Amino acid sequence: MKDKMDKLGARLREKEIRIPVDLTAGIVFFLVAGVILLLMPSQVAVSERDVVNGRAFPTMLMALMMICCALLVGKELYKIAKKKPLEYKTVNLLVEVKALIILAILVITYVLARTTGLFVVGAVFCALAFLLYFRCTKPLYYVITVGLAVGIWAVFRFLLHVRF
Amino acid sequence: MNKRRICLCLVLIMALSLMTGTTALAAGETWTVTCPWAPDGVASLVSQKAASLSTEYSEDITLVAEAIKGDAATVNTWVLDNQAGDPSLVFVGEGLLSITATMDPAKLQFGYEDFVFVENLYSSVFVLSADASLEINTIDDLKAYVAGADEITVATNGATGSEAFLAAALFGSMDAGDALKLVPYQSAAEAAQAVTRGETDFAVSHQSQILEAYNQGGVTVVCAFDEGPIANGPFAGVEGVGEYGYPYFRNRCFIMAPAGTDEEKVAELKALYDEILADEEVVSWLHDTMLLEVDTMEVEAVEEHVANVKAIVEEYLDIVQPEG
Amino acid sequence: MLQHIVPASGLLFTLQNILWINIGVFIGAVFAAIPGLTVILCVILFLPVTYSMSAIPGMMFLLGIYCAGGYGGSVSAILINTPGTPHAAATMLDGHPMSKAGRTKAALKIALYASTFGGVFSALALLFLGPQVAKLAAQLGTPEYFMVCVFGLTIIAGVSGKSMIRGIIAACLGLFISCIGADPMTSYDRFTFGINRLYLGLDVAVCLIGLFALVEIVSRAESKPGELHMDTRKMRDNGTITREEYKRMARPTLLGSLIGVMVGIIPGTGASEASWFSYSQAKNMSKHKEEFGHGSVEGIAAAESANNAVTGATLIPLLTLGIPGDGTVAIMLSALMINGLNPGLTLFTTQGDIMYAIMLGLVLVNIFMLIQGKLLTPLFAKVVSIPQEILTPIIVIFCFAGAYSVNKNFFDVGVALVFCVLAWVLRKLDMPPVPILLGLVLGRTTETNFRRALLISNGNPKIFFSSIYCWVFVGLIVLAVGAIIRGKLNEKKRPAQEE
Repeated sequence: MKDKMDKLGARLREKEIRIPVDLTAGIVFFLVAGVILLLMPSQVAVSERDVVNGRAFPTMLMALMMICCALLVGKELYKIAKKKPLEYKTVNLLVEVKALIILAILVITYVLARTTGLFVVGAVFCALAFLLYFRCTKPLYYVITVGLAVGIWAVFRFLLHVRF
Repeated sequence: MNKRRICLCLVLIMALSLMTGTTALAAGETWTVTCPWAPDGVASLVSQKAASLSTEYSEDITLVAEAIKGDAATVNTWVLDNQAGDPSLVFVGEGLLSITATMDPAKLQFGYEDFVFVENLYSSVFVLSADASLEINTIDDLKAYVAGADEITVATNGATGSEAFLAAALFGSMDAGDALKLVPYQSAAEAAQAVTRGETDFAVSHQSQILEAYNQGGVTVVCAFDEGPIANGPFAGVEGVGEYGYPYFRNRCFIMAPAGTDEEKVAELKALYDEILADEEVVSWLHDTMLLEVDTMEVEAVEEHVANVKAIVEEYLDIVQPEG
Repeated sequence: MLQHIVPASGLLFTLQNILWINIGVFIGAVFAAIPGLTVILCVILFLPVTYSMSAIPGMMFLLGIYCAGGYGGSVSAILINTPGTPHAAATMLDGHPMSKAGRTKAALKIALYASTFGGVFSALALLFLGPQVAKLAAQLGTPEYFMVCVFGLTIIAGVSGKSMIRGIIAACLGLFISCIGADPMTSYDRFTFGINRLYLGLDVAVCLIGLFALVEIVSRAESKPGELHMDTRKMRDNGTITREEYKRMARPTLLGSLIGVMVGIIPGTGASEASWFSYSQAKNMSKHKEEFGHGSVEGIAAAESANNAVTGATLIPLLTLGIPGDGTVAIMLSALMINGLNPGLTLFTTQGDIMYAIMLGLVLVNIFMLIQGKLLTPLFAKVVSIPQEILTPIIVIFCFAGAYSVNKNFFDVGVALVFCVLAWVLRKLDMPPVPILLGLVLGRTTETNFRRALLISNGNPKIFFSSIYCWVFVGLIVLAVGAIIRGKLNEKKRPAQEE
């Protein structure tokens, strides 16, 4: 199992994606701002008597965001036209897969704590999952971490009266 | 290094003993009292005071006060989490039962029927204060001012709270609803400061929240939102709008248990609160520091209060939140 | 004043008070040092303890938590690149790089000394100038508050990293997120998408947990197996701060303390704004701008002195006018009121001894914070050598517990997770997270004051230039923008000269 994972990891480590970061950021946030502007009428009710209504400030922000995004994209398109190098960011697939695993641990911790109504269940899972993620083989670390997880919950629950 | 370790251990032991000490206070059956408003607000403060005295008046019930800011959201969660028999109490007031219920019922996942009334924690008479430079001291002065004003600005805590509706009801019934401009602030203290520096003409607030501005001469206190004049405290004698036939309501804080809670238990809790609220120290603290009144109530009076506020909200809603 | 000092000292210097100060300082420092647990949360949790005490020990205990919390937030910012509290985010920018360079103890000490100086400075300001300063602050109204916010937004330039455009986009996002929830001017819901709880808006402390703490956990994906344990040989310092570094700390510490006091007396603003203002000004005035963001002594000193200088200053409007300067102080007001003390100038004549004992006590709190800080520094510094296998889940558990405790609801834990994902995506797009935090901190105040000012003036923008204070802020904004433009021009010139 360990060998298989190591092999998979080695293969993923070699796979990289290069993102034209300014161009992508510009397009993504331009679209985000556009969507927010489109949603504005359905999401923000206003009254005719408002001197400055609840849409004004977010509209100003989204307009500014779109201008900045246009500048960012424009700058990159100019570079393409002039055949100048663009700004790239390299994304390693192994890092992203590992990040997804960590995110999954966080989400499962949250779901466990929420569904059981017992924070300590999520806390113990979190402690064990991270130890496994780090491939920890020392039993003492397991004892310490799980003990601390239960201890933190107990302090909040019984001493600070946070009921979870 | 040893000395350092000893010092650290000492402080650690002190901190731990403090925490365990506070836990040990909670003996007998512990009832958690949830205040759905800010921990520094009037309701939370009075609740904490009452909770700290509960062990003096009962061997069976210990009240533990907690404040979870969130208004309707907190009460929604409380209603979902607590069933009859759970040792849990929550505060609701006219803000939730009358204002939100009328303006935005979708926000409430509960109704009056989800609770059993235990007791009213306090009553607060709101006051209308005016920028001192306007020299308005009585309701007659106010009437004269309103008659000649094109615009009347009133600072309130929040856009659609009790203060906003009281202002709308008063000026609306003076036929000055169109001239009224409600200026919402993030807190009562901010609203009080606004009227003191002349940013607005008037402010509606709890008495304690305007006291310092009044003491410094920045504002005059024009009238109280009550039937008659204020009886006690620094504003004793200030006229009540009810004397002139204008609408009003008091701010109240109802302590509620989950619907279906054993009647005997409710009676026991009510008796405990009544004893605490009759404590001389509590009474004088409520009168002198908080400028509130002890006002124990029965269910009928609560329902009457909720209905009265609802009627006012419905009548003056278009002033507070005009249709788009 | 003098007639009160002697009796006030008698009331203050009791064994009981000194004990409570120390317990408060210890709890505050440790609590704020843990990511996810904020000072305000600590004060809320421990407030009931004070109800059985009289006014002075109760306030001393809470002030201990409040002041030490100002310093404690910097500890995790320095050690694990995760601000313990929102106001320690500015400290993180230089504190963590200094720690990574093997100077953890030195970074912690700089933060401690600057915090103590800021705290004592503001305590003295409270003691000697309280009522006068409060009267001045009371004259600032809605348009002036808006100008303060606009001035605050100029900081974005300083924290945008390489590209100001990206910084502005991130700030717009932060400002927009602050709009989510009930509109403060009308109570209409905005961008709640039918989610009931969203009408309360998003808590900055919860967003911070996702933006900085949880995303730091996800970034463990970038570390290689060999990096799980800190190479203790890299910790080459014993905490020594050189004379040159002390000299360089002096100016930003003093400036930070002044800024902290000025920001603190304006109700509604707080330690976060102060630390960013101070950091930004220190960077503008520094001869070593290039060190900022890479472990600058001046950066840590500026941010830390400012956020602790806020502590005494927020008490000025509280004790003299009864107006709490920030959320934590508002809760402390309860400790006074429950003892029958309704703060205000009147109280200085009726209960002058108690008021002066509290003000003197603040100086004492800062002194004990320094002593305990010095004792705790070696212990804190050891955190970096805890194996990642143990430290990582413990940080997550604290973050989740902290997020839950803010409103005692799992919804906020979910919000923190959403912000964690957002922060990870932003990292991939090289978008700086600090402007988002600035937007979140300043958003609601900026919008509310902007709209309220125009409501008062019936839409006339002249209101923003209606007082001498407005013009002072206009001047400051012009100066700040000028400094940004000059800085950008110099940046462009530098590579050209190097070529």
